[in-house]
Amino acid sequence: MTAKWKGIALAVALAFAAGAHAQAPQQNIEKLKQMKVSGTDLNIPVVPQTGKNADAIRENLKKVKLPPGFKIELYAIVPDARHMAVAPSTNMLFVGTRKTTVWAVTDRNGDMVADEVKPFAPSLKFQVPNGVCWTKDGFLIVVEHNRVLNFPAAEFFYEGPDVAVIEVVPQGKLIPEEEESYNHGARTCRVGPDGMLYITLGQPYNVQPAGKVALFEKLGIGGMIRMNPFDGSKREVYAVGIRNSVGMDINPKDKTVWFTDNQTDGMGDDTPPGELNRITKVGEHFGYPFIHGRNVKVAGTAAAPDLKDMKPPANWTPPQIEFPAHQAQLGMTFYNGKMFPAKYQGGIFVAAHGSWNRTTPTGALINFVSLKADGTADKSEVFAEGWLDSDTGTYRGRPVDVAVMKDGSLLVSDDFAGAIYRISYQP
Amino acid sequence: MRQRSRIAAALVAAAFLSPPCQMSAAAQDMAAGKRKALACQTCHGLDGVAKLPDAPNLAGQPEPYLVRELNAYRSGARRNEVMSVAAKSLSDADIRDLAAYYSAIRIEVKSVP
Repeated sequence: MTAKWKGIALAVALAFAAGAHAQAPQQNIEKLKQMKVSGTDLNIPVVPQTGKNADAIRENLKKVKLPPGFKIELYAIVPDARHMAVAPSTNMLFVGTRKTTVWAVTDRNGDMVADEVKPFAPSLKFQVPNGVCWTKDGFLIVVEHNRVLNFPAAEFFYEGPDVAVIEVVPQGKLIPEEEESYNHGARTCRVGPDGMLYITLGQPYNVQPAGKVALFEKLGIGGMIRMNPFDGSKREVYAVGIRNSVGMDINPKDKTVWFTDNQTDGMGDDTPPGELNRITKVGEHFGYPFIHGRNVKVAGTAAAPDLKDMKPPANWTPPQIEFPAHQAQLGMTFYNGKMFPAKYQGGIFVAAHGSWNRTTPTGALINFVSLKADGTADKSEVFAEGWLDSDTGTYRGRPVDVAVMKDGSLLVSDDFAGAIYRISYQP
Repeated sequence: MRQRSRIAAALVAAAFLSPPCQMSAAAQDMAAGKRKALACQTCHGLDGVAKLPDAPNLAGQPEPYLVRELNAYRSGARRNEVMSVAAKSLSDADIRDLAAYYSAIRIEVKSVP
């Protein structure tokens, strides 16, 4: 059975199961859960892919520096482009945003440039649908600020406004509603080889107050949780002691879960460092809000005076890599393609969004992190940069996420320019 | 009083410091504000149009409003996880310059038909 038919079969089964207890459907999601039409206009508006904006972005890309043999091109105009999920079977990808849209981006003629960008499931209203990822059978997971949805066979169903949907975590049940915040509310996700759905949950403060520390550790806020990707069951806290992770991936070799973490603000222009972390056992503590990086104390400083004398547990786990201060590392991916030279295969690409209020802006680049034979991180180097104008300090773009395409090229999303780029290699 | 004397001082300084181009104090504030707005650009945009869903547009906001609210964030009277951090280190001059810059950006309003 192909992923497509498995997906459709399950969607139908779920639709019938749900139908038995269905209330009078009030909202579109209730209709879609039963595979009924919502009445949304069948003509979905598309985003223009040519013109002044596309030309200006292409011009800006000429300033991006890459190692020899690599080139970067505009792949698609995608407003507010955040995290990406490359479709397993077809020539398309889904792109999350921090607004209300998930984009479906399709290359219809196979020329490695997207031809069509349109909203996914416009019948539904999304709230900060930043996190997108796939189950092993090709079900698309969308993690919003406070809801998780699962779309069977999304890469085949997205042409119309109505799509089959499963409510994995209903609205208001991912975190308690009183902990909802505009700040650090963008989620990221992956489905692991164990079939479980892993979700990063940022904590909403710069540094959480002492009164929230125990509650957040219990809930996995400022941490990572995992659950069954179809019904939300077996939910557990997978990691804690994280400030605001907006990027994760799983090493296909040793199955360890890796994630980035964002720097505390207000401690100075050159501290603390950003982090790349590796989880090797469930429930691991990564030091926050007491320590950032390997040894920068946060508790008791001006940024968190009320945490004075508080410490992480003795067995807390320091980061694998410390990145430069305030560059805001977000999305990451293991490079499992074959197009790039051997040096990159099995390593990690990390997107650095760039600083927001540092005196001199820094970041807006892509790092590459190599691994040692034992599976731990070796060192980090800059792979691509040039989105920040060093003369004026202004941004021409801000990379958010990186994703490997089936041909081994690397996509980069940019929520400032509203675009996706493609980096390819030819010796 | 303090506000007025500082503006007067700025005017005098401007008159003496920049005779060749005769830049007005307001123009100087705006130019300084544009430089300082690099620390605001990722959320509010250098053009004053918000770049993030959780930040407001600042282009064309009334200057006294911007001054008052930045002061409120700095003093703690108004709280926001991002702005409380950003405003903490601002001087009076920073606030004046930023407000001068963002309020000076011209915007065009198109009503919903």
